[in-house]
Amino acid sequence: MTVPETITEKRRPAGLVARLEGRLGESGVLLLFLAPALLVVAVAQFYPLASSAVLSFFDWSLSRSPRVGPFIGFDNYARTFNDPIFSGAVTYTIIFAISSTLLQLVCGLGIALLTVGESYTLRLVRTLLMLPMVIAPIAVGTIWRMILAARVGPLNQGLASIGIDGPNWLGDPMWASFSLIMIDAWEWTPFVAITLTAALTSIPNDLTLAASVDGAGRWKTFRYVVFPMILPVLVLVAMFRMIEAFLTLDIVFTTTAGGPGYATHTLSFWIYQQGLRYFNISYAAATSWIMLLACLAMALGFLAWRRHVSKWQVS
Amino acid sequence: MMTTLALRLGRVVLISIALIIALAPFVVLFLNSLRPADEFLSAGSGLIPSHVTFEHYAEIFDPSGDTFRYLLNSLIITTASTIIAVLLGAMAAYALARLKLPFRLSIVIGIMFLVIRFYPKITVALPYFLLMRQFNLLDTHLAVIIAHVSMTVPFVVWMLLAFFEDFPKELEQAAMVDGAGALTRFTLIIVPLMAPALAASAVLTAFMSWNEFLMASTVAPNFAKTLPVRISGFITDKGILWGSMSAMSSVIVIPVALFALFTQRWLARGLTAGAVKG
Repeated sequence: MTVPETITEKRRPAGLVARLEGRLGESGVLLLFLAPALLVVAVAQFYPLASSAVLSFFDWSLSRSPRVGPFIGFDNYARTFNDPIFSGAVTYTIIFAISSTLLQLVCGLGIALLTVGESYTLRLVRTLLMLPMVIAPIAVGTIWRMILAARVGPLNQGLASIGIDGPNWLGDPMWASFSLIMIDAWEWTPFVAITLTAALTSIPNDLTLAASVDGAGRWKTFRYVVFPMILPVLVLVAMFRMIEAFLTLDIVFTTTAGGPGYATHTLSFWIYQQGLRYFNISYAAATSWIMLLACLAMALGFLAWRRHVSKWQVS
Repeated sequence: MMTTLALRLGRVVLISIALIIALAPFVVLFLNSLRPADEFLSAGSGLIPSHVTFEHYAEIFDPSGDTFRYLLNSLIITTASTIIAVLLGAMAAYALARLKLPFRLSIVIGIMFLVIRFYPKITVALPYFLLMRQFNLLDTHLAVIIAHVSMTVPFVVWMLLAFFEDFPKELEQAAMVDGAGALTRFTLIIVPLMAPALAASAVLTAFMSWNEFLMASTVAPNFAKTLPVRISGFITDKGILWGSMSAMSSVIVIPVALFALFTQRWLARGLTAGAVKG
């Protein structure tokens, strides 16, 4: 039988690969393919995760002792209930995550509707609007810290030139809480916009056309055809954004460092301080596990909601 | 007639406002990095610096300083993490798509990869720090690279899993008839054909690794320090060094912004892959 010259034929003279594949068999090779990724994830994610769960039941502060202390059951978890700074951080994180996510969804949907289309200009606009999201969150913080500086920042100088005495954006507890929400929304609205643009583009043209032939105006077409079509994507995007807003850490570092006082302590920032600054290892582990469970619960809730809203869709 | 004109005008105005809000901060950053140091403290110095100075760039890139090392650290860590994450992720996704494991194990492993996106990395940071201390890997590139790969591999796996679902089986079957094993098919058929998807996941991984702060600051506080970790130092040190901070921020932001403009196609594809298709 004459075998035509195929890709494999060229390679076969090497021999080594073929022999290896022969010895390991199909599933052997595939298992070897899977192993390295699993190993890395196990070492750097799942082992630390499990170890953190174990540590959360012990009493260990690295600043007091290099050795793990005694087993104390749920004491670390119970301690959080009597920690006003922790509950303050929880409250702020929830307010922060919900307001920031809502703001991003509204602005992102608006931008997606405004910029959907395939013309060169619109594509350029979309690319430019994406920039806030691709830069380091740490740098987002420093940029906004400059803009919002109370006395010399360009925002307040601009406001002063039209006769408004701007607030101390990052120095006043109320305004600082608000500013952080705006900064987070500035950074992540592009993600919502990009994803929803993709969702809008994937809606078949005949659907919206049929609606307008049936006499539906712009609003009705959006409300009854377009919106239900993109709702599953919207819910998924809301989930990603809500969870990530819940975990916000970087921008807090470079804008307010949790202050003034404890006004802008997000949960992640609080845990970071406990764990990596004061080295209260077991207490930080316990609180981070509370947060983890909250995140998983949120994810499950959103996924159930998504299933509910996409039930009637064929795809 | 009037209403369509008004609508179009309104659209242009709204898009312009969005562009100004999105881009003005970049302009402020760049102008500040060229502003003379004494102007930062005086109110009423205006948006445009009175004269352009490169003193802050000269200062941070002073040969006696460490900025070059941080830049190099960031480059090494981003490059290595990207290559390793895309390679391991592609291999794992291929295996998950083709392996016939018992007990729906493929699905379980797939979900394991997905879950990594949904919990706070701060839970992992501390024990990972302790683990690296045990291995004597604290403050090495390797410690950061392993952390970044473990965070980005799940993204790569999920992006490429979606891709394999659409991959024509006939091509592979033809190669199998010719006696090609999994490794041969992967290197000679799969990889070349999925180059665009690989590029998309590589771009996304590179961004994530270049910008990542938490894990890098946890395990690499000194020698292997990356640029984002360095920038956070400007705040907690003695007061705020506005000039150096804006120069340093420009160094980390501007290359990434330019890179984003050129890789926009792949970036958008990577970002929307999980949400729109799945």
